[in-house]
Amino acid sequence: MKVEEFNLIDRAKKGDRKALDDLFGREQRYIFNLMIQLTRDPALADDLTQETLLGAYQNLNKFRLQSSFRTWLSKIAINLFRKECRRRPKHVSICLEEIKVPSEKTLPERIVIKREMQWCILHSLQQHVPKQYREVLVLRDLQNLSYEEIAEILSWSIGKIKSRIHRGRKILRAHFVNGKCKAFAEKDYLCICDGILEL
Amino acid sequence: MNCRKSRALFSDFYDHGLDQKSHKALIAHLSGCSECQKEYDSFNKILVILKKLNKYDVPHDYIKDIRNF
Repeated sequence: MKVEEFNLIDRAKKGDRKALDDLFGREQRYIFNLMIQLTRDPALADDLTQETLLGAYQNLNKFRLQSSFRTWLSKIAINLFRKECRRRPKHVSICLEEIKVPSEKTLPERIVIKREMQWCILHSLQQHVPKQYREVLVLRDLQNLSYEEIAEILSWSIGKIKSRIHRGRKILRAHFVNGKCKAFAEKDYLCICDGILEL
Repeated sequence: MNCRKSRALFSDFYDHGLDQKSHKALIAHLSGCSECQKEYDSFNKILVILKKLNKYDVPHDYIKDIRNF
């Protein structure tokens, strides 16, 4: 942990409002982003972010500085996400418009195909990779965290993290390549994996 | 190295987490096995696309005032 963060937490614990604002202010976008990656639902991500911040605020004195503040917040957020998963029905659709497409100088047709592929990959990850694998894939492949950071957040061994990542990626690839999305399609969205599997 | 063993190493290979011996053995296998090569290519492409989707546009004003809690 950096000295600056250590001092900030120390001051926040003593009730310094400015330190509290700084500490939470710089992490909330990160937590919101993490929740969006796990849920693809901005409203739910917002709720979970607020719950995370509130939980952290109320329990700040219990934070023993054994990890970074971000790791501690991520841990709280992931636990809230798990709780929410147990409560909510599975398979929530996402809109194609929600996906940010990087600028592309190729033909428009390629852009459409790329967008569709992105949608299908994300859809496979969000809806068809079981939660215990999805969490590690989001932390590793979307958030770019190291094995060590993920191990801290999930309280698992590095070996378990590696094996979950391996298995999760295998499931994601198998699901995507086999185009199983189509079989799960519901009325409110259309999954078109089948036509774009020339990988 | 056989195909089954080679595919079990894809994830660590992608993360640059293989030791030198396994790394060399996998490269040697991939060079001579078009099926595994094709499988690794698709594995790699999916993860590359996924990585490009790593940032959601968080609204600029997305700052909750914790003093309201």
